[in-house]
Amino acid sequence: MSQVNLPVQQQAPVQQPPIPSTTTVGGPTAPIDYRRDQAVGFYTDTTVCIGCKACEVACKEWNQLPATRGGEASLSGDSYDNTVALSGTDWRHVKFIEQFNPDRVGGRWLMMSDVCKHCVQAGCLEACPTGAIIRTEFDTVVIQADVCNGCRYCISACPFDVIGINEVTNTAQKCTLCYDRLQVGMTPACAQACPTASIQFGPITSLRERADARVAQLQATGAQAYVYGKEDMLGGLNSFYLLVDKPSVYGLPENPQLPSKQAGLGWLAGMGSAVVGGLLGALSFRKHRMDERRPVVAESLPRDRREVETRDEVRR
Amino acid sequence: MNPALIERANAVHWEWMVYLEMWIAGIAAGAYATAALLEWFGQGRSPIARAAHLLTMPLMALAALLLIVDLSRPERFFHMIVQVKTWLPSFKPWSPMSIGSWLVLAFPVFAFVSFVDALIDRGMFRLGSWRRERTLHGSSLGRIWATLGGLLALGVGTYSGVLLSASEFPGWADSSLIGALFVVTALATGMAALLVISGLGRAVAPPDLRDLARAATFMVVWQMVLLVMFVISLGPSGARVYLTGPYLLALIGAAILAGIAPIALLRFGATRLRPATAALGGITMLLGGFLLRYAIVMGPQAHG
Repeated sequence: MSQVNLPVQQQAPVQQPPIPSTTTVGGPTAPIDYRRDQAVGFYTDTTVCIGCKACEVACKEWNQLPATRGGEASLSGDSYDNTVALSGTDWRHVKFIEQFNPDRVGGRWLMMSDVCKHCVQAGCLEACPTGAIIRTEFDTVVIQADVCNGCRYCISACPFDVIGINEVTNTAQKCTLCYDRLQVGMTPACAQACPTASIQFGPITSLRERADARVAQLQATGAQAYVYGKEDMLGGLNSFYLLVDKPSVYGLPENPQLPSKQAGLGWLAGMGSAVVGGLLGALSFRKHRMDERRPVVAESLPRDRREVETRDEVRR
Repeated sequence: MNPALIERANAVHWEWMVYLEMWIAGIAAGAYATAALLEWFGQGRSPIARAAHLLTMPLMALAALLLIVDLSRPERFFHMIVQVKTWLPSFKPWSPMSIGSWLVLAFPVFAFVSFVDALIDRGMFRLGSWRRERTLHGSSLGRIWATLGGLLALGVGTYSGVLLSASEFPGWADSSLIGALFVVTALATGMAALLVISGLGRAVAPPDLRDLARAATFMVVWQMVLLVMFVISLGPSGARVYLTGPYLLALIGAAILAGIAPIALLRFGATRLRPATAALGGITMLLGGFLLRYAIVMGPQAHG
């Protein structure tokens, strides 16, 4: 695979600390039991992702999502990543981040299986005017396809660019965290299919403990590992990640915010602008009425008097 | 300012129907708000206010139709207002889209009554005691009606801009001033439409036309001030989505057509303002307002 002439997408230092896999150091990856009314989610350890895309396939199979876009298979043309991005029909996307030197002697591939973050403070859920987007008893965020009318505001409100229009249903769609499987005690299809336990599913509290332990383990080896999506980010991401480079390298925002934070200031500025506009309009119209009430002026200026008479004639 | 992702893969596809709707709804809202101002501060029952009442309702109907058709599932438009699983009202005051949906529903109620009132005032028909000699507008109740309707109109003019600001698209999320800019654009284009009607119709007395031209010129100045403030507030990363290609041309066109040209033509309602000149000033303002909406709606999407 290293002989394939791939374009360099990211530049990186030649020397990278080795990243131990969870299996060789004995990190726990077994499924964790969960119950209804418990916050569940995904912990994705990007260091053990091998880019096999089993998660993408499992997601598409279980959720009956089309494998092609508009009936046509398309290739990105610059990577083995042909899914390219999350969308209304691609609810899982394994990102291939290629960090190679120009001579391709040294470098690394970062793999990351991206998905909806099921934010505790979800911008899409706030923005949705129809109530199609709901928070479930598992603290996940789900779009109800039978309620969504495709206004597309949620697409613009998602800081992670997760939601897209599904061309089959013509509604906004994204990962449901396999809500139907959760309701019968099953593990989401992607986590079930992941062969390296890069995608782990379970109660959030347990997953965070696992992630913290893994971060400590990696940091002990010199790797720059950290958890992306702790509680200080949108109240916590119920799908969070262990990363070894800056968020922007993975195409993630450094400090995502709720878009509604802008709304208050926007309304305030709008009202201020309307008041100024109203005052300017009122002054313009008022001036004439005040002029009209000055008979002396009207008498001394025959032109104005003629105009007042003209206006009265028009009214009559 | 939201730290938005620079590149976005999923498009919202708010295209010509959306910026056309925003422009049309802005004209309707601005015209109605102008009529309310005239009722309070102008001549009461003026031909200009009546023209505004006749103009607003059809334009709002067209705007609502565009909004509905632009949905991916237009047959579900009423989901904006009603929760279909409980049949309770669907109102989320923290969502500008939800507020906007209710404004677009409520404002036409006021616009419709004023529209009917204007028809009655023209002697086209009567409804019981609601007749030409006793119309709503011109009475105390009419002032209250105009005030409430005018406030809703300003809401209609503002919400679409706030909606864009409360998003994650670079160029929209970078500024909180889009709502402020849109509401004054609505007022300006509303007055512009009335200038065109009044200028071409010749049914308005010169002093009234000059008042309207003066108000419109003030609106143009305020609009240009806000446009400059908006561009500054974007910062380098936000501004780059507007200051390239057709969007830069559109912004320059807007500054000329909705800024320089009407100031030169209308001259704050100069004494010798001719009706044809007023109409021409109105036309340039309308075109400039359209270009402004186009640039602001489409620029960030093209770079997303």
